[in-house]
Amino acid sequence: MATLMNFLINYVDSDVTYVTTPADYITLNLVNDYLIWTAGDTTVKDLMTHEPSESELNNAATIIDDINAVTVGLCLLMDYSHNVGGSYYTHKVKGMGENKRYVYCFRFDGATAMIPRLEAWDTSAHTTSAKHVLGAGTPANSFVKAIKTTSGLPGDSWVGTAIAGIANYIELDSAALTIAKDLYANIKIVIPGNYATPAAEAFVLTVRYTYL
Amino acid sequence: MNLYTIVFEDNSVFEGGTIETTLWMKIPNKKIRSIFYNIPLGDCIVLSGYNSYYHFVETTVDLSGENKGQVQVEYTYLLGKKENQYKVYKINIKTGQIEIKIIDNNDNFIKQLNPHGWK
Repeated sequence: MATLMNFLINYVDSDVTYVTTPADYITLNLVNDYLIWTAGDTTVKDLMTHEPSESELNNAATIIDDINAVTVGLCLLMDYSHNVGGSYYTHKVKGMGENKRYVYCFRFDGATAMIPRLEAWDTSAHTTSAKHVLGAGTPANSFVKAIKTTSGLPGDSWVGTAIAGIANYIELDSAALTIAKDLYANIKIVIPGNYATPAAEAFVLTVRYTYL
Repeated sequence: MNLYTIVFEDNSVFEGGTIETTLWMKIPNKKIRSIFYNIPLGDCIVLSGYNSYYHFVETTVDLSGENKGQVQVEYTYLLGKKENQYKVYKINIKTGQIEIKIIDNNDNFIKQLNPHGWK
């Protein structure tokens, strides 16, 4: 059988692994669930009791700073089934952008031929990375920063790798997987100071992996 | 149609599986004489005379976007090793295009490979 991957977020304590504390994680149903990157406000927040509307999301958008770079403050899981811990549609991803190790989890149920990667693209075609959030054609300028935390903490004020396209990615481990294994990363979005083009852009986070 | 057929030096045969279940790790531990590899769009690659062989499938899973959650097979790879040289066939499953390159064992691509996959 092909090796399969599940994607989970930690919504309780980002100092604990899935293996030790599975109740702290939610496995995304990727067909229906999704991540929301937002500044958040009194409506768009942790533990919402409805799916946020487009206008609500626009009202809670991150504001570009005239001078300084801004890290998008909140990543929410939009849980379509809203059946975790009560009837809540949103759960805050704990530790996003912080010096935390067990934030985003990639569970592989078997071996791989090469090291799994995390990439970012304009669309599911995986051919371009021209959106502003992905550096507007310059992958090194991508706002999306990621760092492997499988083997350790990312560090205070971690910078990470600007991910966009086929050449700018992170590897989620240091070697191909010989057995089933949980890999971890931290991801944040940093908008440059005085960026000239406000936008609401959806990008595609992609895990590329192999099996034997 | 099977993804590949292997003929061993003792003339026995192993029929491979599908792209989803390749059976590569089920191949008996015997010296391989030839691999007949069926490209999904119709052609066949024959590898013979190598010291060892490797095959794997490259997939993507989108965490967001219109195809999120779907496992998409993008490429398959077939490798033959002779001495310190490796011939690599990278097969685009969607277009049928095949990229062929020859690399040595100092190449990072080779260094990263799961060592258990060599046959």
